[in-house]
This record gives sequence, C-alpha cells and structure tokens, in this order.
Amino acid sequence: MSEATSQSEIPAKDSIGDYFLDLWCHTSKTLALKPETGAESELYDDEEEEQPTALDTLNSSGGFSVVGPDKLSLLYPNVNLHRHDVGVVQANHSAPLKRMLYYFEIYVKNAGAKGQIAIGFTTSAFKVRRQPGWEANSCGYHGVDGFLYRGHGKGEAFGPTFTAGDTVGGGINYAMQEFFFTKNGVLVGSVYKEVKGPVFPTVAVHSQNEEVTVNFGQDPFVFDLKAYEAEQRAKQQVKIDNISIPPDASYGIVRSYLQHNGYEETLKLLDIAGQSTVPPISVAPENGVSEEEMYALSERKTIRQLIKSGKIDETFSTLGKWYPQIIEDGTSTICFLLHCQKFIELVRDGKLEEAVLYGRREFDKFKKSSAFDDLVKDCAALLAYDQPSKSSVGYLLGDSQKELVADAVNAIILSTNPNVKDPSLCKHSSLERIIRQVTVCFLEKMSLNGDQGEAFRLSRILKSSKKS
Amino acid sequence: MASSKKVITREEWEKMLCSVKMRKEDMNKLVMNFLVTEGFVEVAEKFQLETGTEHIDLATITDRMAVKRAVQSGNVEDAIEKVNDLNPEILDTNPLLFFHLQQQRLIELIRNGKIKEALEFAQEELAPRGEENHCFLEELERTVALFAFEDVSNCPVSDLLDISQRLKTASEVNAAILTSQSHEKDPKLPHLMKILIWAQNHLDEMASYPRITDWSTTTLEDPSL
Repeated sequence: MSEATSQSEIPAKDSIGDYFLDLWCHTSKTLALKPETGAESELYDDEEEEQPTALDTLNSSGGFSVVGPDKLSLLYPNVNLHRHDVGVVQANHSAPLKRMLYYFEIYVKNAGAKGQIAIGFTTSAFKVRRQPGWEANSCGYHGVDGFLYRGHGKGEAFGPTFTAGDTVGGGINYAMQEFFFTKNGVLVGSVYKEVKGPVFPTVAVHSQNEEVTVNFGQDPFVFDLKAYEAEQRAKQQVKIDNISIPPDASYGIVRSYLQHNGYEETLKLLDIAGQSTVPPISVAPENGVSEEEMYALSERKTIRQLIKSGKIDETFSTLGKWYPQIIEDGTSTICFLLHCQKFIELVRDGKLEEAVLYGRREFDKFKKSSAFDDLVKDCAALLAYDQPSKSSVGYLLGDSQKELVADAVNAIILSTNPNVKDPSLCKHSSLERIIRQVTVCFLEKMSLNGDQGEAFRLSRILKSSKKS
Repeated sequence: MASSKKVITREEWEKMLCSVKMRKEDMNKLVMNFLVTEGFVEVAEKFQLETGTEHIDLATITDRMAVKRAVQSGNVEDAIEKVNDLNPEILDTNPLLFFHLQQQRLIELIRNGKIKEALEFAQEELAPRGEENHCFLEELERTVALFAFEDVSNCPVSDLLDISQRLKTASEVNAAILTSQSHEKDPKLPHLMKILIWAQNHLDEMASYPRITDWSTTTLEDPSL
C-alpha cells in the first residue's frame, strides 16, 4: 500500500533525475575537498577508530597493583590476601571494531609468588578486582593453570600454563566472532565470543612481585599476526570460492550492463564473441536477456555519444524529436543536468562570455532547491579560474561528469518504455543492484553484530589484481 | 530462535540500498576485467572506446587466446610452441600442465589415426615422464588404453576423446598464462556474485530482509515472514 502512494507522489521521472543529482552533489563535495586523491575514502565513512595505546591508570584496581610510569607495565607489590584483591587493569580504550582482527600481547617479566597472571577481554561494566573470566561478560586465559574462563564460574582446560619469560597474546577475530590466544608466537586456541559490544584488552596480576609489560602494537608482536590474518582470509575465501553460481550468469550480468547503459557497439561484439566461444554461451532469459533492457538501444547509444562528445544542443534537439516528453518540462532535473553540461562545454571551449549569457538565461528557472543552487555555484566557479581544470571544480570538466549526465538521460529514456512496470528499477543496472545489495548485507550484518567487523569494499576486490 | 530474527521491510531495505555510494568507473572496471580475463579482445577494445575505461594491455590477451584456441582445435604442438614464445618458464615450472599438453597431443594423434606416430610419441616423450611421477603414469596408462580398442569412440576411456577433454586442457593453459602475467585466473565479477550469496546466507541467520536470488532479473524478493 505505502509503496503505491509513494510512487504516485514522486513521478518516476523526477525520482530518476534526483538520483543522478544526488550522485553529482556527492562528487562535488568529495572531489572539491580532495581534487587529487579522489573520493575513495569518502565513499566509505572510514574514520580511523581509536585504539588502545596504554593501560588505564584512572580506573585501575584500587591500589592492589601499580601501573608503571610508561603505562605499559603492571606490578603486584603486595601479598595477596583475598580473591577480591586482584590487580586487574584495562586498556585505556576498547578494542577497535571495524576490522577483521584485533590483537595485543603481554610479556611476563616476573611470575611472582604464585604466577596468577591472566590476559583477556572485559567490558566497561567489569568489576575491577576480579580476574578476567571470573565475571560474566569477560574472558580470560590464566597462566597458573592454562585454563580459559568465560564468566561461567568454572574454567575449562584450554592450553599450556604460562610464566616468567613467556609472551602471551589475546585477540579478537570479528569475522569468526571468536577470541583467540597465543603463547610465544604460537596459536593456543580460539573460543566463541559470547560477549557482544565493545571489550577492553585486560591484564591481571594477583601475587607478590608479579610483573608484566603490555604491547598494544607499539612494538612488533611475537605472534605473526599478518600470517594469521592471511590464513583467516584464505579460509573465508575458500568458503566463498566453493559457492557455485550458474556458469554463464556473470556473462549475463555483463550483457545486461551493456544493454542497460546503451553500450550497443560493445554489446554487439560480445554477442558475436559469445557465439564463437567453445561451447557457445546460450543467450537465453536465464542469462539476463531481457527485452526491457534492449529498449531503444540504438537511440540511447546515439544520445550517449552526443553527450560524451559535448554536443548538448544536438542532444536537446534529438531528444525533442524522439522523446519530447523527457524535456517537455523545462524545469525538470534532466533539463537542469543538460543545461549545466552545456555551460561546462562552453567553458571547456573557452567561450566564457557565451557561457555567462547561457547561464543567466537558463539557470534562473531552477532556483527551487538548494541542491540546484549548490551545483550552479560549482558550475559558475569554473569562470573564476584561469585554469579551471586544475581548480577545485575541475571535476566538472572530466569525463565522469559527462558520463553522469549521459547515465541520467539513459535512465530516463529507459523509463519511457511503456512495458516497464516499475520505472524506479531503470536507475540501476543489475551489476549496480548486486553491488548495492552486497554492501547493505555487510552493513546490516555489522550492525546486528554490534558494529563489529569489516564493511564491504568494492575497491578491495578491484585492487586484488596481483597475486601476493 | 526464529523470534529473535530481525525483520527488515522492503521500504527500509531500499532506503539503505539507495544510500550506498557507488562509482560508475568501478562498475566499468569490473566489466573490463571480465572481458579481459575471459579473453574477449575485440569486445574489450570496443568497451574501452565506448566508456573510456582505462587501457589494459590487450596484446597479452590476444596471445593467450591464440594458445587457448590452438588447444581447443587440437593443434597442441602449435599451442606448446606459442606458450614457450610467450614465456618458457610457464611450462618449465608446471610439469603437470606440460604433461597434460603432451597427453592431449597423444590423444589428437590417436584421434587422427596416426597410430605409428602416436606410439613413437608415447614411448619417447610420455613414458619417461610417467616414470618420474606416479600420477602421470596412471594417466598415461589410461591414455595408452586408446590403442587397444578398435572402436575408440565406444570404449571405456572414450571420454578422453571428448571435446570436454580439450576444453579442460585449454582452460588449464589459460589459467597458467594468466598466473604468469600476474593476472588473476578468474574474473572478479563471479567472485562478487559469490560474495553476495555468502553475505546473504550469513545475514539470513540474523535477519529477514529482501534478497536477490534471481541473477537474470536481480530484483528484490520480499522477506519471508
């Protein structure tokens, strides 16, 4: 029900135009900030997460242990009397979440009277004075017995004991939702991570003269974390590789991409090539051959070429002949995009006066939203520079701006197909829908896991061209 | 368990889909990578013209495709020569691949009824390799069994004469050349599609949401409630 109403409120034509307008706004903001490096990091909200760098001195356990002045060592100076006088200290920050692995190490300098050292993870609600693993929502690997405690009251046999001279590591594998522990560079084992939400790297000492130092990555780790990560990724990779997809499905996606965008010449050659492979690729509905995407293929190709060669006047006249309904409303977004492009072409040709006159004549009628205004400002800024292509709005003179306008017009033409049931589908090719779906699946999975893990990055797939 | 699953409506999901930031160039790169890896040279050239997607050394595809086609059409000797022209290390460092090419050559000789030549070739070129490696020996014996049957198209090892045997060998050479050029053997697009299935399967455990299951339409299917 709600879908039907929302569709009638916004005509499909406008929703398509607005979509491309948004895309442009996005390029404008990001490229204006970083003209050289491109928009890569801006595409993903990729702020660097804060990480543990030292032991927390404010919150440390009521005087039972002493954190060294470097905030990276911990000593238990007293004789322990009670199970509630553990010298436990958390890191100054919780472990970062948006990655595959987090890891830190401790070195046992002195095992003291009883060697009751533990390493683990605890939440911010953890009761200091107790060993990690003794309380709910915590997990600890204990040196004295090699047991793992997971807040269940009783420990379980896990690995070897550790004592003076040993380096012990604690890590989180977000992809597998596991804690893992190492001793002297060797993996001891891993365990399902029941604790959700942020956890703090935690160290505990509990008998006289016990002393440990902590490495939050400021020094090289004894454990080969890089190799472990590669191994974990490879494991995941094998699982993905073993998934089967229909043999020619990717061919179908490519074909449909070419159809969608009106890359007619490439499409023709692909069809010929598909026939001459051994065995020939069947061009059947299951391989993405849809009549809808063949709609107006050569018209779309012609118009795309006009836009890409900067012939905007001809684009207008051709559209007027073939699809008058598209430019009927002179204040539509699609007209706005085309007028901007015309303005840009005039600047490119150095016809600045003509550009000014054109802009004054055409842009006035679009003063209906701030997005229009901002983009007009971007266009106008071209006039201010001696070398506009090197300015902060230089992106306007690039091929991708033409491509954006051409894509918008292409999508609008697709939506004029009377057989199209849902015109909003014309915005995206199959390929684009797949990428969007993958991205959202990852984001949703992260959010359901308490914002843990890695986001999907197309750039990672694109860049992995060299075999390491 | 089922009750704890989060339900995400189509409307919410589409809103999230819309907020994904994408770049056209990246999609063009994926398509270009597909065309290059699959060896569609002319198509890749045209795509470069139509989209301005960055130039890739297309000459290397032409050579690779020539080798692949040679094997597919049974000209194995020619294919071996071409591979060595491209990079002699490919066969030097891949004894199994070299054996399979030689085996294919033997199969082609038998197919063409050149029995004398085939026998000589088997004894001189293949037998010594079989002695080196036990796996090779078994495959060699299977291949030599073709000599024993009058009607080779109807014998227990007739699968060796099948076109699929040629295709298998051809794709093995293709992959080896790609690896030697530090290209990945497989195009990235199928990998992306597999990631989608994988990600959807994982998310299924936690939520109910609109999925893509049909590659031909890639439209969203309503979440099952």
